[in-house]
Amino acid sequence: EDLSVVGSWSGLPLHKQFEAPFWNETLPAASGGQINVALTTHNQMNLGVGDVFRLLGDGVYDVAMTVADYAVADAPELEGLDVPLLALTADEARAMVDAARPMVEDIYNARFNSHVLAIAPYPPQVVFCNAEINGLDDLKGKKVRGSGRMTTLFLEALGAEGVNVSFSEVPGALQKGVVDCAITGAGSGYSAGWWEVSTHLLPIPLGGWDSVVTAINLDKWNSLGADTQELIAAQVASEFEAPAWADAQGALENDIACLTGNGDCASGDKRGMTLVEVSDADFAKAREVLVSKVLPDWAERAGGDWAERWNASVGETVGVKIGG
Amino acid sequence: MIGYLTLGLLGLLSLSIPVGIVLFLLGFGIDAFFSPFPLTRGLGNLVWSTSNNATLIAIPFFVLLGEILVRSGLATRTYAALDRWVSWLPGGLVHANIATATMFSATSGSSVATAATVATVAMPQAEKLGYDPKLFSGAIAAGGTLGIMIPPSINLIVYGFLTQTSIPRLFLAGLLPGIALALGFVLVTALICAIRPSLGGQRRVFPLSEMIRALAELIPIILLFTMIIGTIYKGWATPTEAAAVGVAGALVIAAIFGGVSIAMLGEAILGTVKITSMIMLVVIGASFLNFTLASAGIGRELQSFLGGLGLSPLAFMMVIVVIYIVLGFFIETLSLMVVTIPIIVPLVVEQGYDPIWFGILMIVLIEMALITPPVGLNLYVVQGARKSGTMSEVMLGTLPYIAAMLAMVVALIAFPQIALYLPDALQ
Amino acid sequence: MAQILLSGLRRMNRAIAILVGVLLLACVVFVLADIVLRQMGSSLGGTDEISGYVMAIATSWGMAFTLIELGHVRIDILRGRATGGARALFDLTAMLALAVTVTLIAVRGWPVLSRSLANSSRANTPLETPLALVQAPWLAGWIWFALVSWLTFVAALMLIARRDFSASEAAIGTFGELDALK
Ligand code: NA
Ligand code: NA
Repeated sequence: EDLSVVGSWSGLPLHKQFEAPFWNETLPAASGGQINVALTTHNQMNLGVGDVFRLLGDGVYDVAMTVADYAVADAPELEGLDVPLLALTADEARAMVDAARPMVEDIYNARFNSHVLAIAPYPPQVVFCNAEINGLDDLKGKKVRGSGRMTTLFLEALGAEGVNVSFSEVPGALQKGVVDCAITGAGSGYSAGWWEVSTHLLPIPLGGWDSVVTAINLDKWNSLGADTQELIAAQVASEFEAPAWADAQGALENDIACLTGNGDCASGDKRGMTLVEVSDADFAKAREVLVSKVLPDWAERAGGDWAERWNASVGETVGVKIGG
Repeated sequence: MIGYLTLGLLGLLSLSIPVGIVLFLLGFGIDAFFSPFPLTRGLGNLVWSTSNNATLIAIPFFVLLGEILVRSGLATRTYAALDRWVSWLPGGLVHANIATATMFSATSGSSVATAATVATVAMPQAEKLGYDPKLFSGAIAAGGTLGIMIPPSINLIVYGFLTQTSIPRLFLAGLLPGIALALGFVLVTALICAIRPSLGGQRRVFPLSEMIRALAELIPIILLFTMIIGTIYKGWATPTEAAAVGVAGALVIAAIFGGVSIAMLGEAILGTVKITSMIMLVVIGASFLNFTLASAGIGRELQSFLGGLGLSPLAFMMVIVVIYIVLGFFIETLSLMVVTIPIIVPLVVEQGYDPIWFGILMIVLIEMALITPPVGLNLYVVQGARKSGTMSEVMLGTLPYIAAMLAMVVALIAFPQIALYLPDALQ
Repeated sequence: MAQILLSGLRRMNRAIAILVGVLLLACVVFVLADIVLRQMGSSLGGTDEISGYVMAIATSWGMAFTLIELGHVRIDILRGRATGGARALFDLTAMLALAVTVTLIAVRGWPVLSRSLANSSRANTPLETPLALVQAPWLAGWIWFALVSWLTFVAALMLIARRDFSASEAAIGTFGELDALK
């Protein structure tokens, strides 16, 4: 069986450490040479990020993976997979994603003619500021570079101003005060040198966990024998998804240690950013905004019975209910 | 697959099928012969996503800026003013071509737009003053390429966009190499004309008072440059938005110093739409071909080939330079960058090279590709502005400047600081 | 007949190109307004997103004008050596390849729009632009380009059948020659 696989961003650890070894070596070996994989990535193909799952559904390739948030233009209900601030640790994020899995499967069946194989995390999207902040409340009135619709709407609900700046221009923008704060993965911010131009780090997932969905074209999936389906499902779960999640919490702690200098840093030199503690009161207030404003907005965008389904699954897991 | 591509490219191009369409046809061929997947199903999405791109809107803006400068008469007056200053050199007016190209490069992000601007104002002078048509037009074609090295630069914006490197840093890095290259062109011209004075037409020396008075004619262009670059470094506008600032600035400056009318604006718009669509058909075709190539695994082939050579970083860089020179003969430059950057740059960075530095090196190679036949857009632009003579004259005329570009490649590899000094010092 | 068709197409595409230019100028004004407003502490928002849509629509609608103005780059090495009927054959081949390719793009562009319609897709941005709203004019531009390509091809075929090579050259030749004729 030949599989043509399109991976997520080729430069990021998720692809280099987990995707590439799994598809290039682990799966072909486990199949005893029955499965051959040709792997590339969506950025190497110069694909628009919003096209990755559209083309998967059209059968242009067999398997694709990228950030679920990139596909919400075609499926607003998918925003419910990764809501900011609901999961603070990797274990909580995993529980949230697992609870959402049946919904995600239905969305991918209906919108992208594909079957979900795995949901793995990018590191949580934390906040870098080049201004003194002592809590969430201080974001009010600040210009913040966010990414994705729900994050931007959340920032605006918190009283901040969402600004659109491309990743590579963020350091300059922080330095010149075009933005006061910017959100990205802690590791990306460390390797891109954001610590040079920012002083305060708010280590909470204000941008969510940026879940990366791996999916296979439904026609292709149905054409595979039951044995092959089982083999792929089992291997993806145990050899790709599980290790990627197992690594996530440690990676986050390592990245924060690297940025703030508190604790061991395995990636290189320690930096001296100020770690901002978020008080419980602060946190409760942000949740209040999320539940009273951001999530109901989403329920309206998504339409249908998605809010009820979300309440019964993700909401149950994290203890949040839309609409009272 | 490489054989198919080379033969297909040469065959279809020599049939005189439009370059952009050739790229699409090659993509269809890759789909039909080398890939088990129905890649052509993705054609619509590819065309939409490639053209729905805020970065690329800098192309029509810069072209429009150049059109406004030409049609308001500002370009002609800048040319005449620079002529007062440089025509005493052996080579006379040829130096004015280079100086004017350098000057416009500082306001335009496009080499084609720069070459078109200079060619329009310079060509009428060549016949009047009896210059060698080869050297005269070669200097315009080559000088025009500075448009993408001296900031602002569309190609550097695209490079920064694709490699996630900082565009303002790239702009700073391009400044010194751009000026060095302009001086190199001047030096080469002076040397050739000192040896063969017949090529250089008459040298003309102007009185100092006239030279000083001419300086006033440069004020509009310097104002425009300050506006464009100033808004970027003040943090007021992104490099792409600065192109819009340039258009507005050119209109205002043209209204003050030259003339603006509805008829003139109409002509400028028609010229802009024509050149933009010409470039975009090639860019979109290249993007589709790139997509089929990546799907068919050419990236893996090239990566494993380069990785398997086991070369030292220096030898590796030599191979990369040769690859770009060869590809540059045949592939339009923006397409060449879009196709190769995702494959080549990660390998280069892995070898320990700085991505900002490599961006500048690549721009020199891309500049060369703009003036090497058979596919060299600047050659066509300059030939298009001539009233007589053959294309081969322009090609021959660019040879000395290609030598200067090769010297620049060597200098950049030997002294990376030529590119990295400014961005490091001003960080 | 062929000449009437060609000059009609030329007039229409000039008008369209002017409209495209006005769209680009409007985009310049919009970007400038946003830059100024940002200095005053507010923002229109979404200039990036809107510039992208403008670029896509301007590009697709400008294509046919560039075709009529002989602006799409062609390599002239062999063709430049041919004369009369042989040269006309080069031009017809190129025109046919272009018309077929552009038609394919227009056909394959339909699923892009139809999927956006089916999903009621909205951009993943605070503006939440309905994608069909911008993809419909974009696709219409490519359909227009395909239509103009076939009409030009047919007109040139008629001219060549009459052995009127200088007229066909002016319609589907290359811009170098045209300038030389002036
Ligand atoms: Na420039
Ligand atoms: Na070339």
